[in-house]
Amino acid sequence: MNGFPWLTLLVFLPTLGAICVALLPREEHGQQRAAGLFFMLATLAVALAVALRFDASPLAPEFQLQTFVPWVPSLGIGYHVGVDGIALALILLTAALGPLVVLSAYRAIKDRVKEFILSLLLLQTAMLGAFVSLDLVLFYVFWEAMLLPMVLLIGVWGSERRIWAAVKFFLYTMAGSLLMLIAILYLYFALPGPGGHTFDYLALLPRAPGLPLAAQRWLFLAFAVSFAIKVPMVPLHTWLPDAHTEAPAAGSVVLAGVLLKMGAFGFLRYAFPLFPDGALALRPLVTLLAVIGIVYGALMCLAQTDMKRLVAYSSVSHLGFVMLGLSALTVEGLTGGIYQMLNHGVSTGALFILVGILYERRHTRAMADYGGIAKAVPALAAVWMIVTLASVGLPGTNGFVGEFLILAGAWNSRLHAAPWVAAIGATGVILGAVYMLWMYQRVFLGPARPAAHPISDLSLREWIVLAPFLAAIGVMGVSPQPFLDRIEPAAQRLVDRLSVRHAGEVGTPPPSVLRGDLVAPPLPSRRPPRLTPELLRRLRQHRHPPR
Amino acid sequence: MIALAPYLLWIPLLPLLGALVLGTAGRRFGRSDVNVVACGTVAGALVLSLVAFVSVWHGRTLVWVLPWFSAGRIQVTAGLTADRLTVVLLLVVTGISLLIHVYSTGYMAGDPGYARFFSFLNLFVGAMAILVLADNLVLLFIGWEGVGLCSYLLIGFWYDDDAKATAGRKAFIVNRVGDFGFGLAVFGLLALYGSANFGALLRAATASPPSALLTHGIFAGLTIQGALTIIGLFFLLGVTGKSAQIPLYVWLPDAMAGPTPVSALIHAATMVTAGVYLICRISFLFALAPAAMLAVSLVGGITALFAALIAFAQNDIKKVLAYSTISQLGYMVMATGVGAFWAAILHLVTHACFKALLFLGSGSVIHGLHGEQDMRKMGGLRKRLPQTAFAFGVATVAITGVLPLSGFFSKDAILGLTLETGNRLYPWAPWTLYLLGSLAALGTAFYMWRLWAMTFEGAPRTEAAGAAHEAPPSMAWVDHALAFLSIVTLGLGLPLAGGAPLERWLAPVFSPAVHLLPGLILPRGEGVPWATYGVALALAWGGLAVAWALYVGAGRALPARFAGAFPGLYRLVANKFYIDELYASLIGRPLWGGSRLFWRLLDAGLVDTVLVRGTAATAQAFSRRVLKPFQDGDAQRYAAVMALSAFALLFWVLR
Repeated sequence: MNGFPWLTLLVFLPTLGAICVALLPREEHGQQRAAGLFFMLATLAVALAVALRFDASPLAPEFQLQTFVPWVPSLGIGYHVGVDGIALALILLTAALGPLVVLSAYRAIKDRVKEFILSLLLLQTAMLGAFVSLDLVLFYVFWEAMLLPMVLLIGVWGSERRIWAAVKFFLYTMAGSLLMLIAILYLYFALPGPGGHTFDYLALLPRAPGLPLAAQRWLFLAFAVSFAIKVPMVPLHTWLPDAHTEAPAAGSVVLAGVLLKMGAFGFLRYAFPLFPDGALALRPLVTLLAVIGIVYGALMCLAQTDMKRLVAYSSVSHLGFVMLGLSALTVEGLTGGIYQMLNHGVSTGALFILVGILYERRHTRAMADYGGIAKAVPALAAVWMIVTLASVGLPGTNGFVGEFLILAGAWNSRLHAAPWVAAIGATGVILGAVYMLWMYQRVFLGPARPAAHPISDLSLREWIVLAPFLAAIGVMGVSPQPFLDRIEPAAQRLVDRLSVRHAGEVGTPPPSVLRGDLVAPPLPSRRPPRLTPELLRRLRQHRHPPR
Repeated sequence: MIALAPYLLWIPLLPLLGALVLGTAGRRFGRSDVNVVACGTVAGALVLSLVAFVSVWHGRTLVWVLPWFSAGRIQVTAGLTADRLTVVLLLVVTGISLLIHVYSTGYMAGDPGYARFFSFLNLFVGAMAILVLADNLVLLFIGWEGVGLCSYLLIGFWYDDDAKATAGRKAFIVNRVGDFGFGLAVFGLLALYGSANFGALLRAATASPPSALLTHGIFAGLTIQGALTIIGLFFLLGVTGKSAQIPLYVWLPDAMAGPTPVSALIHAATMVTAGVYLICRISFLFALAPAAMLAVSLVGGITALFAALIAFAQNDIKKVLAYSTISQLGYMVMATGVGAFWAAILHLVTHACFKALLFLGSGSVIHGLHGEQDMRKMGGLRKRLPQTAFAFGVATVAITGVLPLSGFFSKDAILGLTLETGNRLYPWAPWTLYLLGSLAALGTAFYMWRLWAMTFEGAPRTEAAGAAHEAPPSMAWVDHALAFLSIVTLGLGLPLAGGAPLERWLAPVFSPAVHLLPGLILPRGEGVPWATYGVALALAWGGLAVAWALYVGAGRALPARFAGAFPGLYRLVANKFYIDELYASLIGRPLWGGSRLFWRLLDAGLVDTVLVRGTAATAQAFSRRVLKPFQDGDAQRYAAVMALSAFALLFWVLR
């Protein structure tokens, strides 16, 4: 079980970096940035190594590269880390965004550079730690540890109303965390195992579904509220526009790119599998809020005059898609939802960087202060266009694959009134085009406006920051399968797990017209089989018979 | 016979690579370098399309499959396939594209965005090639939205004009509404048959009886026919977006803001016919849903007449052509709705030639008049621009059908088949559709000859019109090539014994659909349909005569007097029945206003102020009112509370 501790290295490498940066002289901004960049890149290298070591075959164990070290044995707390396909995807996203965030802030952050880099590195440790934790206390520690650096990023390096935004963010998140803490403690006391009480996730996982429905409902609710605040789901979302608008560009990228995913990840890892009965009982509520989030977030975008606030509200809409995919509880919807988490990290991350680039030049985020700048900055306009298209899910970009799987998975699911739910969700795709193209036109098109500040096109450093985003948009749109191959088994496992107790309520209903030459032979009704290579081969054969 | 053909991949890939090169490095290229890359890649695609055509001629069906993505039950490949229908479309797309690329080298010369223009145009050719080559609906959707993107980029090509940028955005968003329908239809097919692959769908559709009751899945309780009707109506929504039919046609007239070659290629010849192609591609599914077919034919027929009516009162030469395009697309959609799929494709091909020519001709006119588009400021151009007038004249004859050129046969095939198809379920449909189509034909003849008369006949009405100059050779050459094509494509529609050449060529593609149509279509009568030919000729000449009388001959004062006599009616038509204004007040303004209201009331008001700050205020008030007194430093009260508590505790413990 305890091989080379890859995950431990991954999680604590940024901490090591933070220590190194802390030892650097205060005024050596260049060294601090370089050290920060170096450790972020090293973390990315370790993340890639983890990805290479990860066995994506459908028969591989669920949690890989595990390390277990007793931490507080008397209380059943352990340092237990491991990674599954979902966590792997998010780790890669987190690690990839790290260096880009540091690089993007080279010009924007000029004071307290040391503390800024320190915060970013510690935040990186906390986020990676939360993804790999397999112990509830460990998870909670990392979860809370994310809060502080983020509050600092907003409160110290933010714009005018930063304190207000930071406090709001802090209180919102704390309120949710406390509910989760209570639920974790309840689990600890309610589910003693043969070895005594434990916080170990893998030990609790088989036991928790046995809790009575009433308890599950409350526990699910406690976890769900905490995660829903992070996602954020309507109506718990109002911290987000303020936090995003006031945070520095780098903070917004991390916030949108990774922190929001923490909420959806929590649903996948904790709320759904631990409390299947509670989850199924409250699924209509989750679905409803997800669909409302899609439409409501998009409508809010139409009312904005501030670019950053618009992008922030677009996150509410996009994360609504993610949650719709998850609550469909079909392999397609879950896979699409998880993939869309990555896509949102890429496209919204890039959008915040782009807004930051404009802000650095003109010191305003109001769309009305721009207009017709495409002539002056053709490269920036082109990049912005591509990112916009990814954000609205144009086929061929990454966003399409995710949205397609989510909506197809929700349409053909066992949700109540599934096609209607998917259809209402799909209107978000129309509205997405409305607000994104509207923003593009107001900023870049039309007659050029006289302005106080000159505007310059992308610098080499900015190109270096943006190039990976553009590459990801293309690669993840044209060749998504390597990602999906790692995500799908995890999605399948969750569906399997839930269908043990709720066979008729989760999973994809078979096609209405069942014919041997179209789909695999009728599936056993109790429990869909795990996707073995043999079944996969048969499926492919049946789906695409040679002409 | 199925043959693997990896080169199919290069048909979209060549133009796409051209677009990439021009998009990234084009600004550093000279004009001739741009020409070589842009026209060269499209010419390469045309050559490969010809190779594919020859191969299909020899009885092969070409395929090439790459993996794309799969999850759960959904498997999507990037599969390309070329059958007899595909190669027809491929030749139209790459052929017309090449001609228009050449034309654009003249038309766009001197534009600072030269390389950007050709980059977008190449991107369009690539996307369109994907659309026609795709072997499944999801890949087709890449092309479908890809061409929409190019349309958006090219309509707003001169983006420093806010109106043009807005027109581009409108096109994209209206098309997105259609794509919403397309997407739901694909989800429906996935839920019904578990596949979006044309081959698999065909096998499934032919294997199960349409009256079978579905017992499980999303469509449980419906028959297959019922499910396919719903799916077909969603597809129809997609078609009305892309092919500019009622109710989503509103973007196309505005799309004329783009450069004229773009109007010719994208908004007349190729992209807007994608909806017609889609229906033909899945004809076997529509054939199982007669109600959806009826809806398709009615939408097409009504659009054909409605758009022709609006064209009566337009004075912008490109606007007339835009409404004409909507009307002609209506014919094609109507034809698919009555099961005359081959006739729709025939009209698609002939229309691509003559409508591209009309747009390019109008481009030459506009070019010659330094950007003037108002026909009231033209006149007498036949003498000033003889070459353009000749080519334009051929196209006008072709579209109105006064002489049996290509348009005569293709339009008449549609009208004739509309009447000939029996419809057991809706016996009133054939006559209604025939009437709609014939009235639209009359209207077509009128507005096109009106356009001709106002532009080319009479005396020049302005100085600019008197001093108009002929277009450069690259443009004139293309006009003549298209005029030639507008004439020779009549060969495709000749009513020979055993069917028109194109009908016979496409018969294998549409035979499943024709077999599946549940008694809707009667076998076509033998012999040449002289009666409908006679009616069609009479209508065409009638329209011409009226237009000539009103705009060249003695009745020149009448149109103005008519407009004066019925000002309300005239304004209604000239303002396009106020449909744009209707949409703006029904959808646009409520959406924007509603979102602002929501934001103030719900987000900033209810959630943020009442709930969030309310919670904070409640907590604060609670601590101030209830908790604060316990720790305000009043030692006597502390002692009192302590003593009382101790007593209470003692009482509780000792009880």
